[in-house]
Formats: sequence, C-alpha cells, structure tokens
Amino acid sequence: MRKGAILLVSLLVGSSLLLNACSDSQDDAIPPSSSTTAKGGAVTETKVSTEQAAAQNIKASDLSKLPDIAKQRTDTIIVGLTDPSGAFVPYFTQSGYDGNVNSQLQASLVTTDNEGVPVPELAEKWDISADNLTITYHLRKNLKFSDGSPVTSDDVAFTWTILHDKAYAGDTPIDVVHVKGGADYKAGKASTVTGIKVIDPLTISVTLDQPNATALTTLGGPVLSKAYYGKDYKFGQLDYIKKLYLAPVGTGPYKLEKFIPGQEVRFVANEYYYKGIPKTKHFIYKTSEGDTWQYLETGEIDFASFSATQENIDKLKGLGFVNVIPYTPSTYGYLQVNLEHEQLKDKKVRQAITYGLDRQSIYVDAAQGAGEVANIPSSPISWAYTQDGINPYKYDPEKAKQLLDEAGWKVGSSGIREKNGKKLTLHYLGFKSKSTDIFIPIAKENFQAIGIDFQPEVFADFNALVSKVESKDYDLASFSTPMLSDPSDGLSMFLPTGEVKGYDNPKFIELYNKALATSDIEARKRTYKEIFQLINDELPVIFTNYKKTVYGYNGRIENLSISPFNGISSSLPEWSLSK
Amino acid sequence: MSTYISKRLIYMLIILLAASLLVFSLYALTPGDFISGNLKLSPERKAELREIYGLNQPLLERYFIWMKNALHGDFGYSLAQQTPVLTLFNQYIWNSFLLAIVSTFMTWLIAVIIGVNAAYKQYSWFDTLVMVGTFAAMSIPSFFIGLFLIKVLAVDLKWLPPGGMLATGSNATGLAYLREVVHHMTLPVIVMTLLGLGSLTRYFRSNMIDVIKQDYIRTARAKGLTERKVLFTHALRNALLPAITLVGFELPALFGGSLIIEKIFNWPGIGQLYMQSFGLRDYPLLVGFTMLIAVLTVIGTLLSDILYHIADPRVKL
Repeated sequence: MRKGAILLVSLLVGSSLLLNACSDSQDDAIPPSSSTTAKGGAVTETKVSTEQAAAQNIKASDLSKLPDIAKQRTDTIIVGLTDPSGAFVPYFTQSGYDGNVNSQLQASLVTTDNEGVPVPELAEKWDISADNLTITYHLRKNLKFSDGSPVTSDDVAFTWTILHDKAYAGDTPIDVVHVKGGADYKAGKASTVTGIKVIDPLTISVTLDQPNATALTTLGGPVLSKAYYGKDYKFGQLDYIKKLYLAPVGTGPYKLEKFIPGQEVRFVANEYYYKGIPKTKHFIYKTSEGDTWQYLETGEIDFASFSATQENIDKLKGLGFVNVIPYTPSTYGYLQVNLEHEQLKDKKVRQAITYGLDRQSIYVDAAQGAGEVANIPSSPISWAYTQDGINPYKYDPEKAKQLLDEAGWKVGSSGIREKNGKKLTLHYLGFKSKSTDIFIPIAKENFQAIGIDFQPEVFADFNALVSKVESKDYDLASFSTPMLSDPSDGLSMFLPTGEVKGYDNPKFIELYNKALATSDIEARKRTYKEIFQLINDELPVIFTNYKKTVYGYNGRIENLSISPFNGISSSLPEWSLSK
Repeated sequence: MSTYISKRLIYMLIILLAASLLVFSLYALTPGDFISGNLKLSPERKAELREIYGLNQPLLERYFIWMKNALHGDFGYSLAQQTPVLTLFNQYIWNSFLLAIVSTFMTWLIAVIIGVNAAYKQYSWFDTLVMVGTFAAMSIPSFFIGLFLIKVLAVDLKWLPPGGMLATGSNATGLAYLREVVHHMTLPVIVMTLLGLGSLTRYFRSNMIDVIKQDYIRTARAKGLTERKVLFTHALRNALLPAITLVGFELPALFGGSLIIEKIFNWPGIGQLYMQSFGLRDYPLLVGFTMLIAVLTVIGTLLSDILYHIADPRVKL
C-alpha cells in the first residue's frame, strides 16, 4: 500500500497545506468577476492614486525588448485568467472566472461608468416611475444575438422569468429585488411573473413590490435569447441549460470559438456586436494557475495583474515592454466583530480596538504599499466614497487605553484588562494567507500594549473560516467583501438579516432604505455620507484595508483603458495592436 | 490461485465500501460547504441553495444517495465546474497520465542504469557522486527545482516554454501537435524524473549489491561469462524482482496527477483541478476523485501480489 497510501493521505490531509499557495496566487491573476450579472475584473486610474506615489501609469520604455513570440501576433490578444471552468451562460455560472468569460460574450442592458453610475448599454434609455416602483427599459433598435436573430423584449422577459424559477441555483440576487409576483411564480402559484410587462418588441417594464435602486442594474444584466435558451423551458426544469454551457449565444463583442479545459478560452469577434465588430479579431483567455510572471516575461500573454508592491512595480518597469496601470478593486477588508459577546457590545471597546491596531503598518507598510487603510464600508473608487466627517482612527494606543478605561476595563495584575473578574480576550480567526501571517504578530504586539489578550486561530482555507464564524465561537474574524457594484452592496451585512449578527440600529435601517428608495445619485450620495459617518462611529465591524493592484500589459496594445467596475470588457472591443 | 483471487476480490469490495464511507464523511464533515464561501448570498438564499443541492440532508442519507448513483455509473455533477465528474476526469486525467507515464519510464530507466553501475563500482568515485547526487535530488523541494528551471531554461534562455501544454492559440494538428506537446512537457518531465530518481536509484543499488554477493553470480563468472552478461542477465534480473511490487503501487500515482508540478507548470491535469475543488468544497468531484485513487490503489496492490507470484514462483499466494 505504500505509495498509494501516501498519495491518499496526501490528498486528504496534505491538500490543506497547499491551499494557501492557491489563495495567494489570486493576487497575481485577474480577479474573478464580482457577480454573474456585473462584469469582470476591474482596474482604474483612480482619484486615490494621488495619495500613493508608487502606483501610477507607467509607459513602456523600450518596446524593442518585446519577446518575439508577442511580436509575431498580429490579430490576437492573450490575457491570463486563473481558471475558467466552462459554464458560459450568464446567471448560471458558478465560478467568477466564467463570469469574466461571460462578460466578453454578453453585453448588458445597463452597465456602469467609472464611478459605478448606471449608463445605457443594450437599453438605450430607461424610465423610472415617480414612486420608484416601475422601471421601463427601452432597447436599442436592430440589436442582434451572435446567431443573427433579433433581441426583443420577449427575450428580456424570459431572462427575468427563469431567474425566478424554483430550480434556479445561480447567485444573481434576484430575491433582494422583490419583483412583483416573483414569489408567487417561484412557489408555482402563477404561470407568469405579473410584474414583468412586455409593452412592445423594444419596450419592457418591471414593477417591484418595494423601491430598490439596485434593481436597475440587477435586472439590467445580459439578455438570454428565448428562442435559443428557452425552447425547452418548463417551470422547475432548468437542467437543459447545462447542455448549452459550451455553445453560448450572446450580444457581447466576442463569440466563443473554442474552450480547451484547463488551457484556453478562445474568442472570435462577433460581427453582430451593436457597437461594430471589435478591432482585434481574436482574443484568448489563457488559464494561468499560480504565477503569471513568466508568461508576461516570455510574451505568452499580453496582460496580467499583480499586487501593487514596490517590488512588483519595479520589476514591471524593468521589463521595458509593458505599460503599467494601477487599480483598486471595488472591495474593502474588515474584521467582523462578534457583537453577541458582552465585551464587544460596547462601542468604546470596538473603537479602542481600532485605535489600538496599527493598521498603517499591517496593511500599507508591510504590504509594500499594496494597500490603503479603510475606515468606511465603501471602496475609494465608488461614487459614494467620502472622507468628509470620517474619523481616520489613526494609530493611537493612548487613546485606546483611555477608551478602555472609560468602558470599565481596568488593567489587572497580569497586565491584561479585566472587568467584573473577566479578562479582556479577543479570539481572532483568519485563514492561511500572506496577509494573515503579517497581521498576527503585529496585532498581538499592538493588543498586548493596550492590555488585551489576543488569541489568534488560523484556518486552512476560507470555507473553514466561514463555518467557524457561523458557529459564533470567535471575537474577531478577518474578511474581505466580494466585488461591490452598488454602495448598498457594502452595507447590506449590517441589516438585521445580514451577516453581522447582533447589530440592530433603526437609524441605519431607515437610512439604508432611504438611499435605495431613490435613483437620484446626488440624493443617494448625501444619504450614504450620513450612513458612512454613522457606521464609522459605531464600528459594527472594524474596517481594515483596501487592496491595491497593478496591471502590466504589452506596450503594443492601444486604446486600453480599464473601468473599475467592468474590468477590461468595456474597452476590449477597442483594443488594437500597433505595428 | 483462482480461489485466492476471488477471496481477494471480496476483500477489495469490503475495503472500497469502507473507504467510500470514510472518504465521503471526511469531506462532508470538513468545516464549510460549497455555499458558505459565497459572501454575496443572503442567509435565506443560502438555505434555499442548500435545499436545491441537498446539502441540508443528514450525512448518511447523502452518502446513500451518492452510493446509489455511483453504482449506476453516475458519479455526480461538479458544483463549481458545472460538468459531470466523469467528463472532467476524462478531460484532465489523461494529461496527468501523460506526464506521469513518461516521467515514470524515464525514472526507472535512468535509476536502473545508474543503480547497477553504482553497485558494480561500489565505493568508487562514481558511486560517491551518485550518492551525493541522489540525496541532493531527494532533498530539494519540487517547487524550487521547477521554478529554477523555468527561470533559467524558459525565461532567460528561452529554450523551452514556461508552462502549459500547447502554445497559446495554436491550431497545430498531427505531428506538429505532438511536437508541441513534447516541447511543453520536457520541463515538467525533467523535474518529476529528478524527484523520483533519488529513492529508486538507491533502491536498485542496494538490491544489486545484495545480488552481486550471491554464490550464483560467482558461479556465472566462474563459467567464464562476460562481465556484461553476468551483470545484466544474471544479476539484474534477480535484483529487479523486488521492484516488481513497486510497479503495482505506481498505478494510482500514474492517474493521480501531481499537485505541485501541475500548478508550477500550468499543466492542465487532474491534480490542479483537485486542489481548486478542495478550496471550494466541490464534493462530487472530491469524493469521485479520491474514490478513483482508492480503487486504483486496491487494484495496484492486487496486481503487484500477482506479478510477484508470476515472477517468483517461490512466493505462495
């Protein structure tokens, strides 16, 4: 049994050792798509880049250094992508990487601009009723699917309808939108979703049970052809769609040419794309598990993403043939606080923890500049981001001690603070990664200095961490949000139904609903500012950091720009290779 | 012999049955499931999805459903890859097998040659060199050798591609395709051979040393046979006998893929796929793959016992 047994054991047990290698590698690949409706990875030349000297646009200094293999390509652009798995139907995709593929195959009704504000794509415009309950989408004329058939409101209605099917197992958050009659359809009580109304072949409206500003983009996703994806549809039966995973029909700039599992996704320009045929005929996503450096260096790929450490930026500059652009993903990192534990119910203790933790050292300095300290539940690239009236909680152990004293936690004989005979301990959960390795020793020292007993526990992977958090045996747990498209996405966890248990603030709920009840961006901005100030003071979670990454790409590619929320897909049809 | 085999087959079934329960429970009881890692989902939606995927059922019930389907040849549908598990095996295992079979062959070939020579010239400078070399090869981590060779041979010298199985975008067919694959597999095969070489060389060397000291070798030499004939016909055959057991044990390794090598060289193999599935808790794929390895291990063991009997009739079954 020797070798076989060893293999079995290593599969079962040893795999956990390797997992961190896998999670780390995500730093170097294109980030997975935020959701199946929103688009792929994201980049920007943002307003925050002014604060950071390291990350700026850098032009290739010497294109003659470009490897021959990349020079020889004239009508093909290759981008690395961690691991597309071959389920290329939007809304049904389970892997974010398939989401990246979908975003080249599919255009959406509504997309977002560089600040996340909704802008027209397949829908040339939309109307929102005065009560904010009905949205009417007006499709562009002469839209065609990649098989040449026209795009009509019936296709849109079909797309929305199957999202309400009880067998729908994808992760489009359709339940949050509350389309009128959606629940009845799902329960099998109605044969159609009553809120969906086809007005004419180019006009369709949807009515909601309650106003929701995210509905416009959630429902404004890709359109599935009813004739193609709907011909076998029966209520409660969606398995047939699996057969169509590898033969997608879409409205995006590219069509699927060939999928080679574990190796490549090949695309060819879609002649029916509504903005005109893309400039570069072929596009390839190359599966690149692990490190992507060697592929960029040898010219095997044209575009890759790296953590924005000074070391990486210098190395990219040194290659000479790559252009570099910085990018802040639309996420934020935080420590989830167990608000059901007595000692953490006190706002002062949470503020003391924030003051007492040297976040600048952990997330910015130790990460070689590939990060920035966060203080509100919003990414700095969002239209809602503000620093106005926001407490930066600069590292201040004296202030932390003072707050803990005020909260009644006095230093005991052991040097650890006590209250009513109970010691102030923080049981921290993280999962094995480079950032956790940095966090634990600094945090331990920081907390010791203010008299808190810090007890870290590290898990092999993310899912194990989540399950421990669900069992509620923790005080602090390290998390990062998924890609956020609307500001409300970063806030929903503070609702009574959200992930953060034990935070119930009527004022927050009121403001949250107020911000969603209107589609007026300026009005929403004002409300979000109020929310951010409130959350920044209350700290139902402890905000930690924003990540910083850079993209390096072949200097021959022209017209490349990256939109923070849609990644490469908005400018990809324009990309061309100079001679 | 036939009663022996039928008895062994029954044992095998029992072992596999027990293994399947163990494997299934281990994965199912690992903290976190396929749904829990998706932070975008609301708690209600998570509950709904667990219902759809059957993850809220009791463990034993899930096991019996899986077992029933497996006995009908249905090993389930990968949750993350959205493809039937058997299709995935077919797409990925052969790539792993290709690497494994070539590197195993190379390892054995080189190990036999070096081992025999080292044994014949025991304590010579060649032998010492081999000893140092094998220990070095055994103790350097695979990812280090892999990355080092990528740096030197692929990035700096540009002799070999840095990874993958085909040139990106290549439409090569026939001979050109074959040449491309060979070109791409050279680096991983070199690393895998280097890693396997150490222990096997030492194994053959010590076997050979034992055999060379036997009386029948002295007899063969006394008969006036050439040294070459003594070494390779008389000595080697006997020295290889114990190695036959190793052949059976190689079986699971041939199909199991190599987690690290495949990741470093971006090889589209099953080992890489398995690693991702573990992080995602993609149960059907995890259980299916581990059971496949279990089956191969059990068959491999039986195979080596039978081979040993055939090679050396003194061994009673």
